[in-house]
Order: sequence, then C-alpha cells, then structure tokens
Amino acid sequence: MKKFLAIGLTVLTLAMLLSGCNTKKEGKVFKHGFDLDYPPYSYIDDNGEVGGFDVELCKAVCEYNGWTYEAVPFNWDAKDAELNAGNCDCIWSGFTRNGREDDYTWSMSYSDNTQMILVPDGSDITSLEDLAGKAVGVQTATSAYDLLQDSEEGQGELCATFASLEIYDTYTIAFNDLQAGGIDAIAIDITSGNYLMSGNPGYHFLDEELGSEQYAIGFRKDDTELCEQVNTALQALVDNGTYDAIGQKYPEIYEFLCLKPSNAQ
Amino acid sequence: MMNSDNEVSKMTNFSEETVNTSNPEKVILTMNKIQKSFDGLVVLKDINLTVRHGEVVSIIGPSGSGKSTLLRCATFLEKIDGGEIIYLDKKAVTTSFSGKVCYTGKAEMKEIKKYFGLVFQQFNLFPHHSVLKNVMEAPVNVLKRDKAEVEKEARILLEKMGLADKADQYPCNLSGGQQQRVAIARALAMKPEILFFDEPTSALDPELTIEVLKIIRQLAEEKMTMVIVTHEMSFAANVSNRVIFMDGGVIVEEGDPKDVFGNPRQERTKQFLKSYKEE
Amino acid sequence: MTFGTMLSTMAAGMLKTILLFVLTLLGSLPLGMIVVFLKKSKFKPIAWITDIYIAVMRGTPLMLQLLVWYFGPYYLFGFSIRGYKFTALLIGFIMNYAAYFAEIYRSGIDSMPIGQYEAAEILGYSKIQTFMKIILPQVIKRILPSVTNEVITLVKDTSLASALAYSEVFSLAKQISASQTSFMPFLIAGIFYFVANYVVAWIMNRIEKSMQYYK
Repeated sequence: MKKFLAIGLTVLTLAMLLSGCNTKKEGKVFKHGFDLDYPPYSYIDDNGEVGGFDVELCKAVCEYNGWTYEAVPFNWDAKDAELNAGNCDCIWSGFTRNGREDDYTWSMSYSDNTQMILVPDGSDITSLEDLAGKAVGVQTATSAYDLLQDSEEGQGELCATFASLEIYDTYTIAFNDLQAGGIDAIAIDITSGNYLMSGNPGYHFLDEELGSEQYAIGFRKDDTELCEQVNTALQALVDNGTYDAIGQKYPEIYEFLCLKPSNAQ
Repeated sequence: MMNSDNEVSKMTNFSEETVNTSNPEKVILTMNKIQKSFDGLVVLKDINLTVRHGEVVSIIGPSGSGKSTLLRCATFLEKIDGGEIIYLDKKAVTTSFSGKVCYTGKAEMKEIKKYFGLVFQQFNLFPHHSVLKNVMEAPVNVLKRDKAEVEKEARILLEKMGLADKADQYPCNLSGGQQQRVAIARALAMKPEILFFDEPTSALDPELTIEVLKIIRQLAEEKMTMVIVTHEMSFAANVSNRVIFMDGGVIVEEGDPKDVFGNPRQERTKQFLKSYKEE
Repeated sequence: MTFGTMLSTMAAGMLKTILLFVLTLLGSLPLGMIVVFLKKSKFKPIAWITDIYIAVMRGTPLMLQLLVWYFGPYYLFGFSIRGYKFTALLIGFIMNYAAYFAEIYRSGIDSMPIGQYEAAEILGYSKIQTFMKIILPQVIKRILPSVTNEVITLVKDTSLASALAYSEVFSLAKQISASQTSFMPFLIAGIFYFVANYVVAWIMNRIEKSMQYYK
C-alpha cells in the first residue's frame, strides 16, 4: 500500500509542479525555491503541507529577518530557469555546491552530504567493485548522478562497469524498482538514502563512499547582499539553538549538519 | 448538364442479358398477410401482394401510408412481425400458427437475395468507387464472377444508361439523375428477377426526374419485373400494369391504372387523387 | 561536453524516441480496431468491460498507467520484473493509444450513413465484406485528421517514458541540461520533436490528399 502511495505522491507532485505558486504579499517576500520531492530537505509532509529541514530552516530565517515566507516548489530540472526568471530568490533544497562553485553566489555550507550505494540486505554486492555488471539506479540531475557522469573527478569509470545506469525522474520510483527487483542498487545522497530506509527496513549502504560534498544555498550571482543577510540570520539561528532544534526533528540528517555556534569557531 | 434527350436516345433495346423474358406467367414474389409495427404503431396490416413476371406494379399513397415500409419488408431491410414472403419457389419468411416469425437459413437467404434489387431514393452509391466499380463490385465480390466479363457487361449497361463516358468518374461529380441511373445499372448488373424502386425520383429536380423515368419506362418495355413506390402519378398511370393505392397500412384499392386513376371506387382514393391534382 | 557530443548523444535518444513511437503505432492502430469490435459486441459483458477499459485509459494519466504496468506484476503477483521495463512501456503506450484510436474509429464508423450498409446488404455483401470494402475505406478518410492529431500527440507523449528510466530524447535533454547548466539540450530536443512532427504531418497530409479523389 505504501508503495502505491508513493507512486500516487509522485503523480500529485507533478500536478503541483505544473500549477506553480504565485501569491502576492506585502513587505519583503522571500521566495524559497525548492524541489518538492527531495526528502528530508523538502517534501510534502503527512498533512499535505510543504515541509522538510530546508523549508523549516528557511522559514526560521524569514522570521528572523522579518520577511514573509513564500514557497516556490519547482521541477528540479527547471531550477536555473526559475532562479534566473526571478520566480524564486534562491535554490535551497539539499543543493550541492561542489562543482557549481562559479555558477551561483553561495551561502555558507549548512550540511555535509555523502553519496552512497544503497542495496537490499542479503545482496551479493559488498563493495563498489561488485557493482560491475549490475543495474544501478539514480535520480536525474542529482549530485550522485553528476558524480557517476564525471569521468575526471567523479566516478565515471566505475559507472562504465555497470550493466546499465537507470536514470529516474525521482528516487521514489528508483526505490520502488529496487524493491521490485528491477535494479540491483541505487546511487544516492546519504541523507536521502537514510530517509528512504527509515520507512522501509531491509536495506543498507555499502561501507565504501561513492563521494562527498556540501549543501549550501544558491543565489543569483549578483545577489550577494541577500546572501549576506541569509548568512547572518543562519549564524544567529545556530547561536540561539534554533538550527539544532530543527535538526533534531530530522534524525536521518542530524549528524551531517555542519554549522557551529560562533563562539565555538 | 448534358442534354438528357440525347442521352436517352442511346438507351434503346435492352438485350436479353439485362431482362429475363422467359416464362411470362411465373410468380416472382408473393407476400401474404404481412404485419409490421414500429413501437406499437401498426404500419402494415395484413398486406397481400403477388407480382408476376414482367409486371410493373406502382404503389402510390400519402406519406406514412406504409408503402416504403412494404418495400423494405420485401427486401428484408425491415423484419416483419407476421406473414410470409416467398420468392419464386423459395420461402424466405413464414409464420407459424403460434405467431412465431421464422426467416429461412443464412445460406438460402443469400440465394434469395440474388432474386431482387433495390433502387433507393437517395441512390446510396459507394462514393469511394468509380462509376464503373460501383456497377462491377457486387457481381465480382458477391457472385464471384469473372472480372473481365463483368466489366464488359457493366460497360454495356452504362452505355444503355447513357453514361458510357462517365465510367471513370466518381459519384460526387455526377448530377442526381446520373447518380440514380448508375444506381439502376448497379442493381441490373446483379441480373435480378425483380427490381424494387423506393421513390426513385423524389430526391431529384423535375428535369432530372425525366431522365430517370425514361430509363424505367425503357425497362418496362423490356418486360423487367418491377415494383415502384412513387409520387409521379402520370408516370404510374402510363407505365404500370397495375396500381396499388395504400393508406393507413392497408391496400385501399388495386387494379388497372385506367380504372384506379380514371374511375376510383373508394372514397379515400378519390380524395387522394384530387389532392394531387390540386397541387 | 562539446556541441558535437551533445548532438550525437541526443540523436541516440531521438532514435529511442522514434523506436517507441513506431512500435506504439504498429501495436495501437490495429488494436484500436479490435477494441471497437469488442465495444460493439452484442455480448453485453464484453461491451461493458471494453467501456471500462476505455474510460480508465482516457481518464487516468498515462504516466501513472506506465508505473502500474511496470510495477503491477511485482506488487500484485510477486513476479520478477527484471528486464521488463521496455515491454511494460510498450504495453502501457499501446493500451493507452488503442483506447484513443478506438474512440476515433467508433466516431468514424457511427458517422457512416445507414444507406451505405443497406445498399451493401441489398447487393448481397456479407457483414465482413460490407465493413472491409464499403465502410472501412470511407471511415479511414473521415477519421484521418483526428488520427493525425493523435499521432502527433504520441510523438510528444513518448517523453513520459522517462518515468520508467527510458532514456528517450527529452529525458536526455533534462539530464544533459542539468549537468551542463545549459538550455541548449532543450532547444535541440525541441528541434528534434518539431522535425519529427513535421515529417509525420507531411506523411499524413500525403495520405489525406491521396483520398481526396472523392467527397
């Protein structure tokens, strides 16, 4: 049942992406651009509301700066178009800065991220070498995907040993396919992988990491002032314990949160 | 538009191939006690009709009198609710004492259908086939006859219809009168024992009506057995051997055209003919 | 990634798009005709089931149908679905498009004047002969514009195959665009689709013209 719910959610997500979000409010409105299907950073929660660590943290930043929060969920493929068109003020959705350093104005990194290989318990795959000749799934336009496509600094050579790399629109479908036996393993961010496994026992990560990176908030290149305001707010939220309190609600990513109070730095 | 007189002048002398003239007293069609109603509304009440070889029977009557329905029942386009229909020696439909109507088997019905042809008010030519193909298709596909032989006959038929030069045209390029003549050729190509006409000129302008009526008159002279539902009173009077006046689902009066038109016995017939003259 | 590499990668994706497109048409055009016959079946349960099938195919998103065709056998019956993706895609697309084509065929058949059937019956045509020689040729002419619309929609709908990780041209465009931070792949995909549909429209137009010899 849960699996079909997941399929249903995927369809619902698409519908919501199409409808977009355009409400007008007075005062400074901070438009938070994010991927609606990237748990636990951003997703639809059990009440059908937009939720996730990034959403809550962004709302806290808005409250701190006296801004009105506006959610701008989008299709992840369209993130650059949305940002450049001014539909959102930032991309804040478990967004990897590594490899994109020059493309955006980046906030401080607020979370570490590692790419892992997720396999079913009892799988004969125990190391990255064992993936040779296997079918591996990944979500399109994610850091794990970029890593497997990058032959120079990433894992492109490893990817070449796979029987096939299956590229999905969402990890939800990829995970369904892994459960159903359509593929052997999934290359995924550790946090997203933890989230998937938290609701579905019987899976584990390989010990070997596929790669690692940092999450930060991407702004338009000329938006340095806005970036500074968010950075200041973030540091204040770390110092007053809000960052930690929100993080504790998301145990699967808590250990990767990397911002420290200013007196500890 | 072509000069219709000129066309018709070519249509003399239908050959033996077109019209079967043997056995003049042979009964072609017998309809006994035909009953038909639509949703409880009685359209035909106990109709009896016998047509002998070489006879031309005209059926006249006001609209809604059941004359077209009678033709559609005779050609099995409508199923009757009671009575019997016999073509030559083959019983197509019988009704048991308990009132159960029984149509004969598929194989025999297929044979019976070869005995008759029907010319529709709306022609119903096949628009995607050329004139020649319209005439040839059924003999080739249904009778499984040799194509070259059928084509030869079809061209002769079209020539007699004054349409030799239209063989490769499509129906949409023909006038209504020309289309109806193609429809007659199509029916004749099947070499039927009897030909039914369901208001063959009602969809035509007066000048086009003439060319179609001339063809039917020609067929009558060739002793083609025909049953014609028509509103053309003078035509019915001149061409047919027998006129049937129908009203309210019954045959009111029947007989020699001279008697029916000249000296009708029934009041309803008189009224009907009078209303026609007034028009 | 050079422009040449981008173009050749996406051309390979376009071939997969065309493969899916052609196989779907080959399957759904004839299947649609069978569906019409089932829908017109005198045995009512078959007609009802066909009605439900058409309603579901037209009333739910194709993407959802693709997921159900692929995952259904595993979740419902526990079958192994290894290597079944492309088959599931084909089943999904063919079943969906057959429903749409069936409705187009049905509207065409229903629009035929009764006189054509009656003329054929009087001339002694069997039911099959009447359909094949008289009705169908005229129906094809009548429905061609609607079929053209549907075929062009199919070219674009193939992008939904990305739901089952099928690397057709549009999902490749998304992938390359994301990794290269460039809009160019979408532009290339757009041109590919446009050219493909231009060819489809040209072919259909030729077929329509070839049937204009009668009205």
